[in-house]
Amino acid sequence: MSPVISATVKPLAAMAVAIGLLAIGLAALGANPAVTLTALLSGAFGDWLAVADTLLKATPLVFTGLSVSLAFSGSIWNIGAEGQLLFGALAATACGIHLARWSHVAAISAVLGAGAIAGALAGALCGWLRTRFSVNEVISTIMLNFIALQAVSWAVHGPLMEPSHSYPISQKLPAAACMHWFFPPSRLNCGLLLAIGLAPACYFWLYRTNSGFELRAVGRNPRATAFFGIAAGPITVVAMALSGGLAGLGGAVQVCAITQRLFERFSPGWGYEAIAVALVARLNPLAVVPSALFFGALDNGAQVIQRTQGVSPVLVQAAQGLIIFVLLAFDTPILARGRSATLPHHKQPADA
Amino acid sequence: MQNLLEACAITKHFGATVALDAVDFSARAGEIHALLGQNGAGKTTLMNILAGHLRPDLGTVTLDGVAIKTASPQTALRAGIAAVHQSPMLFEHLSAVENLALGGFVRRGLALNEVAERAGAMARSLSFPVQLPPKNLTGLSLAQRMRLEILRALSFQPRVLMLDEPTGLLAPGELSGFLDLLRALRNRGCAVVFITHKLAEAMAVADRITMLRAGRVVDQTSPPQTTIEQLAALMLGNAVELARPKKSHRRGAEVLRLEGLSLEVDGVALVDEVSLRLHAGEILAIAGVDGNGQRELAEILACSRRPTSGQILLHGQPAGARAMGQIAVVPQNRDQEGLIPGMELWENLLLSPALRRQMQTAGVQRRSAAIALCSVLLKRFSIRARSPRQKAADLSGGHRQRLMIARALASRPAVLVAHDLTRGLDVSAAAEVSRIVREFADQGGAAIMISTDLDEVFGLGDRIAVISRGRLFEVPTANLTIERVGLLMAGVGQHR
Ligand SMILES: Nc1ncnc2c1ncn2[C@@H]1O[C@H](COP(=O)(O)OP(=O)(O)OP(=O)(O)O)[C@@H](O)[C@H]1O
Ligand SMILES: [Mg+2]
Repeated sequence: MSPVISATVKPLAAMAVAIGLLAIGLAALGANPAVTLTALLSGAFGDWLAVADTLLKATPLVFTGLSVSLAFSGSIWNIGAEGQLLFGALAATACGIHLARWSHVAAISAVLGAGAIAGALAGALCGWLRTRFSVNEVISTIMLNFIALQAVSWAVHGPLMEPSHSYPISQKLPAAACMHWFFPPSRLNCGLLLAIGLAPACYFWLYRTNSGFELRAVGRNPRATAFFGIAAGPITVVAMALSGGLAGLGGAVQVCAITQRLFERFSPGWGYEAIAVALVARLNPLAVVPSALFFGALDNGAQVIQRTQGVSPVLVQAAQGLIIFVLLAFDTPILARGRSATLPHHKQPADA
Repeated sequence: MQNLLEACAITKHFGATVALDAVDFSARAGEIHALLGQNGAGKTTLMNILAGHLRPDLGTVTLDGVAIKTASPQTALRAGIAAVHQSPMLFEHLSAVENLALGGFVRRGLALNEVAERAGAMARSLSFPVQLPPKNLTGLSLAQRMRLEILRALSFQPRVLMLDEPTGLLAPGELSGFLDLLRALRNRGCAVVFITHKLAEAMAVADRITMLRAGRVVDQTSPPQTTIEQLAALMLGNAVELARPKKSHRRGAEVLRLEGLSLEVDGVALVDEVSLRLHAGEILAIAGVDGNGQRELAEILACSRRPTSGQILLHGQPAGARAMGQIAVVPQNRDQEGLIPGMELWENLLLSPALRRQMQTAGVQRRSAAIALCSVLLKRFSIRARSPRQKAADLSGGHRQRLMIARALASRPAVLVAHDLTRGLDVSAAAEVSRIVREFADQGGAAIMISTDLDEVFGLGDRIAVISRGRLFEVPTANLTIERVGLLMAGVGQHR
């Protein structure tokens, strides 16, 4: 199989298998799989409002999916898109509520900038910890996720709490700092366009620039890059800053385009779902957009079938997890074998 | 004699490439079977199929007359087929003993110290010295890694042992010991399959020789019935000029000067006060047993490691980071340090700092220029690849070596440093590369060739030095004999 074909066929096949398993699960629970899956589909794409909702659900996943695929491309295991997104949302809110007098464009730019910078700092911190003190980034980014969660909680109970002090939510952003909704009642906005525009930008950076090349090279063979004088430290920090910045930007967009305020449980887990999005996209930024759309559609459809069919959305989440398992299974030697080579010809030791 | 392992009509395609075309091969107990052939002939592919790493498109493998159906490395090992790979496959972060514990010593509940004991006993019984460093493998030379991998393969008590170019790194003194090891294994009834490019080794040790060319068996013979010249002609398909290039003694201005370079790690001087001067047009060959500071010296020259003291002068100027583009280094460890097997050929070219700088504008890669350059190099260095977009891992070992050499010369460096320049190259490619390096020197380049192979050292070097325990001794041309260099390599008669 040519690499391009296998890169598209495998994720599609994984999705198909996972949906098949979902159908079996539905049947086992006594629901009619055909009816439920049709409901799921029409919930996600049934009318234009449903489509708009799917797009809106996909938007944060595009940001975080890009964030994850960027870091993972350099074998930097950033599990912290969730926390970086929350830091971004927090900074965006803290900044946005003070910008009532600013012009629309300036206020939006400032809000988005604040979110991106906050996320980038959170990411860069973990990159620096890994470079300077060999702190495993998996651990540091997960820890920061919890810190971010607590920081948001503290902020909406404290400094950012709405003026009446009765609900743990922030004050509403002033109109100047809120994104325009194109087609009310849908909440479609520029955020999605920004996300879609960033995908080719990330691809360009990763596959067309020297620093993107260095990141991928360091990720694949750090001994070779060290021999040829590519320092792993700086590129790790830069990549983590970019990765965190993308997630933070996603948080800021969510605040100023959709929720217009900050509250506890702000993210349903976009930063974690992003790992699935990025893996299904095979870490290719361009493929992150359709992958995020697929997951967004599942999320959206899951809510609809809960309302109309009484099927728990947990089942759909399980199906999302299954996709990853199936995809990994496709990559194991047993299934991948077939006609082509099991080992990438001259394989390196597993940990080299 | 009965065939122990038999492969029948093995065919293997990789996309459009035919790696093996209906190949028959067999191994008999108590026999050393040498597998020879040009770079890309299919030797490694055949070994990988026999060892269960690859599945053939067509053909069968039988052991003791029983077909091996579901080939996998595990079933092959369980059946008694062990392989030693072209580039060692070891776990870097584990200790040597832990690496061995992942081999065949482990029965249920065997402690690490018992593994070490058994490994030591096995090594001693075969008079095969192996170092077992306690922590990880970082400081181990490539030759020692190869020995470790061989010991791990032996730990499975294999009935068939296949070795893919195990001798490329051995010094002349070590070679005879290694060939004795093969003989000892044969005498114990093991079937030994031995892949090498050094025809003399095959002639010395093999009972049977199979020659592959372009994926087909072209001949089967045995040493008394053939000669090295016949083998070379058979291998290449025609008579080829294998003569070494002529030396020249034109000497230009001084290009490189090393002043008291030292590298100390944990109180041990890995490189010890190395000083030398190198002029344009000169090739300095540095001989030495692997693991005497060669790798560290190459790393310092590649600017990837800072010396503890001393300095490098390039054209009389202290060489800073800028020197990196001027000194091109071919590292010894091809797959771990020289290339990124999972990346495309043209991308591998861009590992060179000089090329990366040339092939960019404002940080954006000039992709089509790099791909075009890669195409040119593939042709000029006869690298067998379908396109510059192929992965480096898809090339055969010798062709990957050529890619590294091509990359080093493509940046038009002032100094070329090559560590084991011709490792893994077949005889004609080795001659071709030697000629190219000579040409490079004749056009005003300066070159340092680090090698364990005395033929190469004497064939290519205008000046010859020996490195031993990190110290460099230049051997004056007046008393230059192979014996003297051999003694110096062994650490005898060193004085400054
Ligand atoms: N995974 C792969 N994908 C594509 N082509 C491959 C792959 N593995 C091997 N080849 C091709 O098959 C041919 C045989 O390769 P092989 O590695 O067996 O050669 P070899 O005889 O071991 O050569 P060398 O002496 O250089 O090590 C080569 O042309 C190589 O490019
Ligand atoms: Mg080979």
